[in-house]
Amino acid sequence: MSHHDEPDGWIGRSLLRKEDNRHLLGASTFVGDIRMPGMQDIAFVRSGSAHARVVDIEKPAGLEQRVYTLADLGPIWSLDSGPEMASFRSVPYPPLASDRVRFVGQTVAACMAPTRAEAEDIAQQVVLNVNELPVVIDTVDSLKPGTGTLFDGWTDNAFVHATIAGGDIASVAGAPVQLRRQFKMNRQSVAPLETRGIVAWWDYRLDELVVYISNQGPHVLRHGLAQTLGLPEHKLRVIAPDVGGGFGSKNRLMPEDITVAAIAMKCGHPVRWIEDRREHLISGVQAREHYYDLTLYAERNGRILGLKGELFVDAGAYSLWPSGPFMESSMAARNLPGPYRIEHLHVETHTVATNKAPLGPYRGVARPGACFAIERAIDELAHELGMDPVELRRINLVRAVDMPFETIGGLSLDTGDYPVALEAVVEMLDIPAVRARQARGEKDGRRIGIGFAVYTEQSGHGTIEWTKRKSRVVPGYESATVRMLPDGTVHIAVGILNHGQGLETTLAQVAAHELGIDPSQISIRHGDTGTTPFGFGTFASRSMVFSGGAVAKASALLADKVRRIGAHLLQAPLKAVTISAGAAHAGRASVPIGEIARVANIRPEMLPPDVSPGLEATATYEPPDSGGVYSYGVHATVIAVDPETGVVELLQYAVAEDCGTMINPMIVDGQIMGGVAQGIGTALYEESRYDESGEPLATTFGDYVMPCAPEIPSFQIKHFVTSARNTLHGIKGMGEGGAIAPPAAIANALADAFRDIGAAFNETPLTPRRVSDAVARAQGDAA
Amino acid sequence: MNAIVLNVNGRSASCNVEQRDSLLEVLREHLDLTGTHVGCEHGACGACTVSMDGVAVRSCVVLAVMSDGRRIETIEGTRSDRVMNVIRRHFHEKHAVQCGFCTPGMLMMARDIICRHPEPSETLIREQLSGQICRCTGYANIVTAIRSAAEEMRQA
Repeated sequence: MSHHDEPDGWIGRSLLRKEDNRHLLGASTFVGDIRMPGMQDIAFVRSGSAHARVVDIEKPAGLEQRVYTLADLGPIWSLDSGPEMASFRSVPYPPLASDRVRFVGQTVAACMAPTRAEAEDIAQQVVLNVNELPVVIDTVDSLKPGTGTLFDGWTDNAFVHATIAGGDIASVAGAPVQLRRQFKMNRQSVAPLETRGIVAWWDYRLDELVVYISNQGPHVLRHGLAQTLGLPEHKLRVIAPDVGGGFGSKNRLMPEDITVAAIAMKCGHPVRWIEDRREHLISGVQAREHYYDLTLYAERNGRILGLKGELFVDAGAYSLWPSGPFMESSMAARNLPGPYRIEHLHVETHTVATNKAPLGPYRGVARPGACFAIERAIDELAHELGMDPVELRRINLVRAVDMPFETIGGLSLDTGDYPVALEAVVEMLDIPAVRARQARGEKDGRRIGIGFAVYTEQSGHGTIEWTKRKSRVVPGYESATVRMLPDGTVHIAVGILNHGQGLETTLAQVAAHELGIDPSQISIRHGDTGTTPFGFGTFASRSMVFSGGAVAKASALLADKVRRIGAHLLQAPLKAVTISAGAAHAGRASVPIGEIARVANIRPEMLPPDVSPGLEATATYEPPDSGGVYSYGVHATVIAVDPETGVVELLQYAVAEDCGTMINPMIVDGQIMGGVAQGIGTALYEESRYDESGEPLATTFGDYVMPCAPEIPSFQIKHFVTSARNTLHGIKGMGEGGAIAPPAAIANALADAFRDIGAAFNETPLTPRRVSDAVARAQGDAA
Repeated sequence: MNAIVLNVNGRSASCNVEQRDSLLEVLREHLDLTGTHVGCEHGACGACTVSMDGVAVRSCVVLAVMSDGRRIETIEGTRSDRVMNVIRRHFHEKHAVQCGFCTPGMLMMARDIICRHPEPSETLIREQLSGQICRCTGYANIVTAIRSAAEEMRQA
């Protein structure tokens, strides 16, 4: 797409981030930092019951006007959510419950006062009278015959049952080796450091509802919110200002969003709700909670033939708009064969409803669970066969010569050399030396373990993939508008949402490459439906591929016009004109781009006769093959574990990965390290537990354990660069990969450490208690 | 209501506060110093870290009434602080910032660590950061930035 011969080297440069300054000064603007005259705070009344019929909601005397129940919000149109599949049971998720509550923390009423504390005082006086109903908590038991259902008219507690299959699993029923294991990845919270939040008011000047919200995709949110409120979309402006992390959790239409927006339309002054941490942990988007029962079929030489199994995904009480929970199940099943040359697959999936907070996306979506299951199973198979787990992977991994390779799960791995990445981590950790240390034993009685995990990360997928998923919203493109101002500096408006990924920097690098100017001359604008072209937001490792493509395409269109004007000013033929280093060049003559921009914008009499004034271009982009491109890698870790206390220390952590061309390698490394840290949280610490009555047990950072600096190791990272064939610059998305493999790698290291006693580490998080219990159980079995 | 007088970033600030108000609420809601962030409101994440009489504290678990007469410094008060500006530059150069939400609290703690430990090891920095949550970076670059900032301060 580049039209100049000497690009200025912006692609592939570790440019320091343009967005750092405001954060370093403490001068950023998160939703909670917005101050509006007359603004009042909302506190929600939430259900204390996991499952109950609502008899009535008593408002405190004299404060009736300050308490909103569903009936007070005015007409609310409920949206179908989840995939467009006849077999999916779509149920309404009301912004405020009026007849039935289905999880502890569900919103029942909203109370308004000048301060949050006063609003909470009112909320405490609201009395919710209910008749308790039997609760459904256990994921697998939810489908047991005779279990009551969450929704009237349902025959069982499944949102959907679906089979994902390829090949013919019956053909390997006689395989000489068959290994069956159960794996569980428990439920967790997403827990960005900034909780959710919303500030909304009616803007009388523009005659529109303004909604500031901590969100990853304001355009799509506007579409959903407008429908629920019955507002035409041109009367609703959604702005995501600085967003303090999202990781998938801020990309769903939530009840609080609808409630606060509806109140703002009625009350005549700005209203605000900032989620507190307890609210986030009990009613924000929760994630994972997969249960697998898998059988691997293999030859004695280690060749894996087939994979059969059953998968339960616990979706919680409701389906969140737009995508709902089935994406989690289908992606998990389709990713189960991993990057392995397995020819037969049969997975029965059950996406079940329980009395817990609704499930949503979290970095890695479905794949951390699938990776955990297949990579653990492969280690178990290696042990069964008496083989080195690395060797078993060598035998089964897709090879460079197989590319492009369609897995039996239907994923088209496009480019790369997976075995080379595997050998890289073996070398990075000096595995022979670690094995020697392991054999010697530790003075302090701890055991050493080594674990590996291979992952793939589908990214940059568009229309083909999202229609295959029956998605209600098909994120098949991104848009960018590039506008050059009279002094030659540039504003670029994009439909994605930067919330920590460094896109204000990397998109400027992409534009600078096309426009021949310095990235410091370019501002990226995003997050405001009032000023940016339509887009789907930042999730699914898509922004660099899609928005990068749109920015490059629009910039290239603009660069063409700059060259044409430049040719006229230089009196040179168009084909002789190149742009770089801030000027248009023809031979030894050059004219600054600032001069061209001045002419185009404010001196139209100097333009060539066939060129219209102004410098602005808009483009949309989707990669030509919208099935997605695949980043991949191998993680390996060396751990020390205390058999008594079960405490795990990560001594070394190595990542060998390939995400194609890197626009900014510094930022790529940052994404990897951050992703791995979250994966370590999933592996060892974070769990949203519920007791048998449906009471959430992790409601503070005291009982929901977030990894801090002492728990996270330093990282060794090695990059391979196999460019994608059909994306701009050959890039692949890579935001999620870091989070996918750690649970598998760490659990494999634990299994390795206790291989002699056969302790089982098949459930995350592997807390000290789970680890020491597993060791004690194995020792008991051995005794 | 209780009348209190704080010295915030070198200026005297008088506020009427409820007994239940935290120092964090006073800074953000009464004084509009929104650089101090709210992450958990129970003293576990460190996003609200400020300096009180020269000591790093979590402003969410300090009651406003306990702050009466105290000297408070928030991130907004550090713009011309020489040490903090060195730390800021290292955070920028080492890519120790992603979403930026933990950053002000992280910086306040980083300066506190460097002032107490002019030659901090990686292990010491990690231990000293055990009350600061960053969800984005995986901490490695924050640790590196603090180490290199400390090194520059030693040479200065």
